[in-house]
Amino acid sequence: MSEGSTRLRWTSDAAPGAPFAGQDAPLFGRRQKRPRGPRLPVVAVTGFLGSGKTTLIRGLLGKPEGAGTAVVVNEYGEIGIDHALLRSSSDVTVLLGNGCLCCNVRSDLEETLRGLFADRVRGAVPSFERVVIETSGLADPGPVLQTFATDRGLGREFHLQALIGVVDAVNGAGNLERMSEARKQAALADRIVVTKTDLADTRATESLVARIGALNPAPVAIARNGEIAPSFLLDEPLAPRGSFEIGEVAHTHGLNSFSLIFDEPLSWPGFEQTMAVLAALRGPDLLRVKGLVALAECRGPVVVHFVQHVAHPPVELEDWPDNDRRSRLVFVTRGLPREPVAQLFASVAAVTRG
Amino acid sequence: MAGTAISNFKQLAHHELDGFGGIGEGMSIQIAKDGRRILWLAHESAPKNFTAVDVSDPRAPKLVARADLPQSHMRSNSLETVGDIMAVAYQTTRPGLQPAGFELFDISVPENPRSITFFDCSGPHSRGVHQLWFADGQYIHMSSGAPDFVPSHPKDDQFYRIIDVKNPSKPVEVGRWWLPGTKEGDSESPPVRHPEGADTGFRPHNTNVYPERPDRAYLGYIDGGLIILDIADMAHPKMVARWDYHPPYHGFTHTVVPFFDRNLLIVSDECVRMEGGDWPKLVWIVDGRYEANPVPISTCPLPPLEAFQRRGGRYGAHNLYENLPKPNAWKSDHIVLGTFFNGGLRAYDTSNPYQPQEVGYFVPAPPERAPTGSIQINDVFVDERAVVYTVDRHVGGLYTLEMDF
Repeated sequence: MSEGSTRLRWTSDAAPGAPFAGQDAPLFGRRQKRPRGPRLPVVAVTGFLGSGKTTLIRGLLGKPEGAGTAVVVNEYGEIGIDHALLRSSSDVTVLLGNGCLCCNVRSDLEETLRGLFADRVRGAVPSFERVVIETSGLADPGPVLQTFATDRGLGREFHLQALIGVVDAVNGAGNLERMSEARKQAALADRIVVTKTDLADTRATESLVARIGALNPAPVAIARNGEIAPSFLLDEPLAPRGSFEIGEVAHTHGLNSFSLIFDEPLSWPGFEQTMAVLAALRGPDLLRVKGLVALAECRGPVVVHFVQHVAHPPVELEDWPDNDRRSRLVFVTRGLPREPVAQLFASVAAVTRG
Repeated sequence: MAGTAISNFKQLAHHELDGFGGIGEGMSIQIAKDGRRILWLAHESAPKNFTAVDVSDPRAPKLVARADLPQSHMRSNSLETVGDIMAVAYQTTRPGLQPAGFELFDISVPENPRSITFFDCSGPHSRGVHQLWFADGQYIHMSSGAPDFVPSHPKDDQFYRIIDVKNPSKPVEVGRWWLPGTKEGDSESPPVRHPEGADTGFRPHNTNVYPERPDRAYLGYIDGGLIILDIADMAHPKMVARWDYHPPYHGFTHTVVPFFDRNLLIVSDECVRMEGGDWPKLVWIVDGRYEANPVPISTCPLPPLEAFQRRGGRYGAHNLYENLPKPNAWKSDHIVLGTFFNGGLRAYDTSNPYQPQEVGYFVPAPPERAPTGSIQINDVFVDERAVVYTVDRHVGGLYTLEMDF
């Protein structure tokens, strides 16, 4: 078995057949009320330099819904200006070292969040309820997503609740055209905020929103005076909603995003092996795969999340978020289109049924 | 640190019980005939006996009744209700005092509890009843002294007794058991005492019996560790398992809660010394697959001692939520809820019993006039609505919460 497929395997000491499983042992441990279970929610805000991330976060901190937020700022530059702006409005603000979160500062992020968690448990900082990370403008969000994927990273204590992409109406279209980092930020986000529309004409804004929609089917909201409804930043994305059925959304600059919907419940071995094959053969190109899966082996829906070759531990929910009980997966890939992936799932399902 | 620390719990209300907010280890829900949900609370020490709080709306608890103790040299500490009958344990400060035993009340009118009978356990060597278990309406299982019991050491005055209260006005003892060697005249040698200052007695604390195994009693036997008794023949209980982990640990095994479906035993110690003097006091996860050989496999993780040691009072394990076999009690074979004095109320997911995971905590701000300067969360109860009730040992009273994990 290749390394890729091995790493995707997920077994639990609480699964059926384990010594202390009991009669009603869920496959992936205790069923949870929500994808994050008991973990602390983290909201990561990405967006190109000058897109308005700091203003957006300050707006959140000024509202009652933003109380109890610890802020971690990653700045690329000598002087921590954004950090200084945020410090006055948050109980707990930490500045990450000079550098970009995606590469040399990633271990700093792990250390910082571990430290914050320990300080919270010990009562050394106020009892915050969530963490908001402002990433540096140049950061690739992929490594940040991976950091929260496994117990070896931060996945046991923290849950990445939402990756928010910020795109400004003045420079956003140009950045998306010219900068691959900007495209990746927009393509991987769970929700996208468009800022500075007061400085751009309506048609330009409409064209930008359409451009974003071609990259990523995620919800898009327009900020007013740099601010947005707190729930748009903080809510868990119940990925993806049943109403949203997209085929091939986009394949601009080599990025593809598409969804798959399955009417019948999947088998876990079949699903796991399909994802293992994809990860083994195209791991680096699976930028993000997320979804809610109906499994034959599980009572509730299972939240799945893959970032390249890394699989988040699946989480079984107590119940479905809506009446639609079909499996839904959203893929963001580099150069891997919908059709062969859909065919692979279909072939494995046919083989599994025997 | 003055603020409340809360994670994955939602506080619904706080009631200081009008200046008498020191609660012991008795918390029991009664659904009154008029539909009100009454929480009965035993006080940790004199002058109050018990307090009844209407918790029908857990966001607005209302005091409905309170009783005083007849003597200041006694405490109630433990109580249970079944239907409209309430049993209250009475323990005196020294052997030989009265009243020591338990009292049964008719609580059909919660505002006016009426005494049915008093069961006397006093004697020259007895302090009476420290704790009682009353779940099936017929038997009280308790840690008690007796008029005729002469312990081989004065600290071992309490032992396991089963009392039939089917006729509440005429309770009758049907069985008893003590650790061999703790009664004067036993052929076995008395147990080796724990070091001076840590010698808290070879006697039961909690004595739990569940319908899943009506032939078993699960005892936290203080300095004697965990003990499981076969009580199929109540007149002649027999020890079937014992796990004694002291020394090197400091003694005071408090509660044993079986997770029957998963072959696990959850065992708590009680911290009894200030500022970490008997650290660590733990909640243990014990492999119960082979009943005769309980094997500890993990403990519930706690914040480091230095984070709580100087906050005042005790820091360490104490009571567990016990999955009470009653219709108005919540049940879980996965979640452990424990009280840790100034460490507050803490919740653990034992899905992987080798690595219990903390999933929530509630550490209230120090109550005003707290003698230790800190919160001292003492006990916890969860009703079938999954409303969590937790209490402070000295002045803080009652906190109501929702679980959010």
